[in-house]
Amino acid sequence: MTIDNISYKLDHILSGLPALLPEVVLAVTFLASIGTGLFLDRRWRQGTLSITLGGIALAGIFSALQLAQPVANDLLFGMLDADGFGRYTRVLVAVVCLLFALFVHANPDFASHRKKTADFYSILLAMHIGLNLMGMATSWLMVFVSIEMVSIGSYLMVGYLAKEARQTEAAMKYVLFGSVCSAVMLYGLSFLYGFTGDLDFTSEPHARGLSATAPLLLATALLLVFTGIGFKLSFVPFHFWTPDVYQGAPTPVTAFLSTAPKIAGVALLARILYAWPVGSIAYQYLQTLILVSAIATMLLGNLAALRQTDVKRMMAYSSIGHTGFLMMAVLAYSAGEYAVLLFYLSVYSLMNMGVFMFAAFIESRTGAADVNEYRGLGPVMPITFVGFVLLMISLTGIPPTSGFVAKLLVFTAVFGNWQLTGNPGMIALLIVGALTTVISLFYYFKIPLNAFLRKPEEPMETKPLRSYIVLMATLITLSVLLLGIFPGWLMNLL
Amino acid sequence: MIPLTHFLIVGACLFAIGLYTVMARRNAILVLVGIELMINAAILNLVAFSRYDKTAYGGQAFALFAIVLAAAAVAVALAIILNAYKFYKSVNPEDIRNLKD
Repeated sequence: MTIDNISYKLDHILSGLPALLPEVVLAVTFLASIGTGLFLDRRWRQGTLSITLGGIALAGIFSALQLAQPVANDLLFGMLDADGFGRYTRVLVAVVCLLFALFVHANPDFASHRKKTADFYSILLAMHIGLNLMGMATSWLMVFVSIEMVSIGSYLMVGYLAKEARQTEAAMKYVLFGSVCSAVMLYGLSFLYGFTGDLDFTSEPHARGLSATAPLLLATALLLVFTGIGFKLSFVPFHFWTPDVYQGAPTPVTAFLSTAPKIAGVALLARILYAWPVGSIAYQYLQTLILVSAIATMLLGNLAALRQTDVKRMMAYSSIGHTGFLMMAVLAYSAGEYAVLLFYLSVYSLMNMGVFMFAAFIESRTGAADVNEYRGLGPVMPITFVGFVLLMISLTGIPPTSGFVAKLLVFTAVFGNWQLTGNPGMIALLIVGALTTVISLFYYFKIPLNAFLRKPEEPMETKPLRSYIVLMATLITLSVLLLGIFPGWLMNLL
Repeated sequence: MIPLTHFLIVGACLFAIGLYTVMARRNAILVLVGIELMINAAILNLVAFSRYDKTAYGGQAFALFAIVLAAAAVAVALAIILNAYKFYKSVNPEDIRNLKD
């Protein structure tokens, strides 16, 4: 390698930096947050929080500004592809991270934690970089690095408080299961590299290498890789960790885990699926895998949620069910038309954030974490429960909420795909999707049933607590409602 | 020169031993050891395949990244296991089961 070569490579990397401005901002903020955590927080308690919020907001604004600019491909030697979809997911991830940072700040458990929360915000910033890269990755190396960045950050977040036995247990299960999945994925990736000699999965040699591989070997390798992505998205059969971790983790962390990694993971799944030519064997294998696990995920998530009484555990199964829906949207999305998928992702993230904010507020005021403990709380905390119920209606998919519009768009896209291709799997998806929507009514409506219609056995004690979290959750509920009535506001942006 | 197949067989054996160790679940630390074996199997594959990738050496670069990330994940996992030990006085995953359906 000559000196010229190195200077050429450096020039290439530098020329790609403008398109990666949000990530650069986040990286600088990450370093700054470590400094403020060590030195500034003693004098100004909210130092790190302010820096973090500023950094994420700035990164989000830069991501939004880049939407108008021409697509920059061949970033970092073709490891990243900042196309339309990837850039929208960046904005969405920034919004979720911003909400999450405020959520953590308002949470009494985090506020009273002896280790302070400065490190927590640093972890969040590093994860944000990982999530952005995951949504844009086109190289297996970048896929692995970004998935690990997000996973290691999530393990730390779940175990951060370590206040009670259940939290440490959730963190331990999460880290062991997650590490096994990423090791299996790495083994699969090593084979894909061996088959093709190329790490860039969108490249032409890669597709050629895959079609020259023996089908059985290819199917095995793809299944191994699928494990790693399945763990991040928590679809069947890689969902075992989800209920335990969601129940055990601090509520803000649960809200984050059920939204941000899913946005990036779905973007990654869609990118891999549509990187390969439609007729190729690899594409057909992956499509079948996604189809089968989408059906299994919708059924299992919604059926298992029926017998849960813990709100966080129920929401864990509900989010598994929604993952099935997202996978259905991935299958229906045909190259370039990502608006449906993005709409579903945005609405889903807002709804889940809102639900967990309400649940956290109720838990910190009354200590109730179980549906049966919600008895008679409706009239005591009217605004909270009306918002909560509206979000439940939206999660089920009943008009006039945006959950309905999102589901309707996905169903329409799947139906259109079936008319185009005649794939019987699409009809199966439609039937299972409609069926599970009906099933989901029964568990979502346990909450209004208990809160408003049942009488408590003994009156609950409520601690007075003033928190801006209710205001935020109410605003989220309002936006979910408004997007249901005027979906064009968001659709026209996409 | 050692042919590629030999490397792949050693890698497959390592992976199988690692997977067995994980599935046996006797001890959380042993699970970590099993994970490490699985990652090393993958790294061995990557480096072996990289021999035939004369232009880019992507596999070797990948192997380096994988080693670093595995070390980071193990550090986090050990800290979390230590925290769990404080509450449960055990590192056996069978004993740590408050959260279940």
